[in-house]
Amino acid sequence: MRRDTMGIILTNDDRIPPITDIRANSALPIAGRYRIIDFVLSNMANAGITNIGVATESNYSSLMDHIKSGKPWDLDRKNWGLNILPPSLEKMTYGAIKGNIDMLAGISDFLQRSPQTYVILSLGNNIYNINFADVIEQHIESQADVTILYKDMHGVEERELSRFTMLELDENKRVTDIEVQPYYPKTAIAGMDVYVMEKALLESIVDECSARGDRDFVKDALVKKMQGLRIYGYEHTGYTDKIDSLKAYYRNNMNFLDKDIRNELFNPKNPIYTKTKDQSPTKYGEEASVSNSFISDGCIIEGTVINCVLSRGVKVKKGAVIKNSIIMQDSIIEEDVDLSHVVFDKEVYITKGRKLIGQESYPLAISKGTKI
Amino acid sequence: MVSKDCVAMILAGGQGSRLGALTKNVAKPAVPFGGKYRIIDFPLSNCVHSGIDTVGVLTQYQPLELNRYIGNGNPWDLDRSHGGIYVLPPYQSAQTGEWYKGTANAIYQNISFLEGFKPENVLILSGDHIYKMHYGEMLKAHKQSGAAATIAVMPVPWEEASRFGIMNVDENGTITEFEEKPAEPKSNLASMGIYIFRYDVLKKYLEADERDPASSNDFGKNIIPTMLADGEKMVSFRFEGYWKDVGTIQSLWEANMDLIDNPPKFDLNDRHWSIYSRNMALAPHYVGNNAKITNSTVTEGCYIDGSIDHSVVFGAVELGEGSVVKDSVVMPGAKIGKNVVIEKAVIGADAVIGDGAKVGVNASDDNKYASKLCTNDLVLVEGGAEIAAEEDIYKGSMVEA
Repeated sequence: MRRDTMGIILTNDDRIPPITDIRANSALPIAGRYRIIDFVLSNMANAGITNIGVATESNYSSLMDHIKSGKPWDLDRKNWGLNILPPSLEKMTYGAIKGNIDMLAGISDFLQRSPQTYVILSLGNNIYNINFADVIEQHIESQADVTILYKDMHGVEERELSRFTMLELDENKRVTDIEVQPYYPKTAIAGMDVYVMEKALLESIVDECSARGDRDFVKDALVKKMQGLRIYGYEHTGYTDKIDSLKAYYRNNMNFLDKDIRNELFNPKNPIYTKTKDQSPTKYGEEASVSNSFISDGCIIEGTVINCVLSRGVKVKKGAVIKNSIIMQDSIIEEDVDLSHVVFDKEVYITKGRKLIGQESYPLAISKGTKI
Repeated sequence: MVSKDCVAMILAGGQGSRLGALTKNVAKPAVPFGGKYRIIDFPLSNCVHSGIDTVGVLTQYQPLELNRYIGNGNPWDLDRSHGGIYVLPPYQSAQTGEWYKGTANAIYQNISFLEGFKPENVLILSGDHIYKMHYGEMLKAHKQSGAAATIAVMPVPWEEASRFGIMNVDENGTITEFEEKPAEPKSNLASMGIYIFRYDVLKKYLEADERDPASSNDFGKNIIPTMLADGEKMVSFRFEGYWKDVGTIQSLWEANMDLIDNPPKFDLNDRHWSIYSRNMALAPHYVGNNAKITNSTVTEGCYIDGSIDHSVVFGAVELGEGSVVKDSVVMPGAKIGKNVVIEKAVIGADAVIGDGAKVGVNASDDNKYASKLCTNDLVLVEGGAEIAAEEDIYKGSMVEA
């Protein structure tokens, strides 16, 4: 139980049209029944952190609907618990949020009121299962000012690495250089956008940056203060990725078809919680044929489903064939439809006999409620 | 405290001995049903959908698992500041302290609980039936008729009528006579064990019943016949729809099979009347490359790489490559190895079935597991039991842990 630590989740603005048109990135459905934010929220809750603020930027109604009182994470508490923090109009630079410093400045009251010593600051679109208690312990032991979670991505192609905040570490894992999304990365040490520090330090950084018109926590604070701050890395050896593009969204969903990744991320010792919908078990019809797929509750499957991730309440009618696709909640696939490499948002309706084919490198994404 | 229009009391103390090993360690209402539910989810969900927010659950036999399952009632939205769900075990008081002697005595012993809510009406339910019913409509009819008690009835096939408590009613639905399991039934309207009483009347009769040492303190045997004899106005409320008593292994199996017929005899995929249950926080189920699933339901947390046909598979079940499950009910967490064949069986929670085992495939006169409770060739494997690799479990067996 880390009663001395609070969590701040910044829902970020990586846009993935069309599936983020109607919701914050952190609220994207993933792995069938989850939302991306479930991972970081569950990790924090599992570490016994009971004061968590979720700072939102825009499009947050779907996120609020998902999290509500925080009950699934046992965060509906008398003291603290889960707090959704809508943007503060007063703290916006030129009437809009221009960076995470603005977001943090907007929740400075919440930070100030919180009695915890340490804070875990995290973006809300990373997928991983970690024991945060160990991270905080190492942070305290190493007497670091800031601890950054990282993943060693040796062997991953350069183009992919440029999506991350890259770190350079010395032999003691002290961070010696930080580059945010460099085109030519110098290292393969990718930051996971999770930072542990004392709350007082975060408050002073936010105050200072805000006063100077600086906007970015990493570029304007950590990079510039590298010499004066003891910044250390904490290596996460398990699976991680961030959902910042349709390609990443597609790939990460498909990765749940891998047994090892599934077993690691849905480790019963560190469960991932989500809002429950009380849907009935999934029903397989007489002619159903399903293989290598991840299927949520409430579906009715009468057709063929191969290499797919199906969210709750999806209907696949007779003769329909779906391959290599991600289908979100309550979509209906009529008879004899042929789908390959598609990403359907919620409530997509495909009429009888239609054919939609995307490519692995370019999945075909269809927005919520579309009827084809 | 706010006074309540109607408080529900669920009788959940029954041992359910005809369910054999399924109720060895849990009360009947806590027996898993329908892929992700327990039997008590049905009356609880019905209460919530009917607008009843105060529910007492009377437990007695093996209450631990049921208590833990109910918890603070939040899966059913019954974690309320004003009302909510209360588990009511028998207790010791200054003068007396005893087990619930019968259904009526169980309510009698909790009169002080009811007094706290000052209800106008009390809804009595049993915790072992599978059905969806709007109690609110029954309550409305009860109030309109001004009856002392309203009893839910449903038509049953005439040839089965002698197995039920039969209500004889006049053309207005007023009950004229009640016969418990009559040899020659005069009507086919069976009591469903669902009663709404005006609280003042109920209290009076429960107190009188308690003073009668000859009474077996039972609603069907004592309270209702006495009220009828006294000329109290008793009205029937006719229910049409699916209703099943799952008191035997056979009927529990059948009720599960009713869910997977096409179209289902009983549909759980109903967004307007969701059945709520405590969630196990499991990932979606994974269907492997060698799997074939037809005419079945499968739910969260499963890993399926074998064949399933015409079966109900609960959460977190593992089924290995080459295995075949047919006409069966597999309860949560069961681990079934490779090349196993299971036919017409109820596999209890967390049972382990070794590679190559056969369950319910062959018959034999020399069966050490033979059980009278496993009728019609059904096999029951108790929760947590282990069946060795290559073992042959004959039809009609009950394998205990």
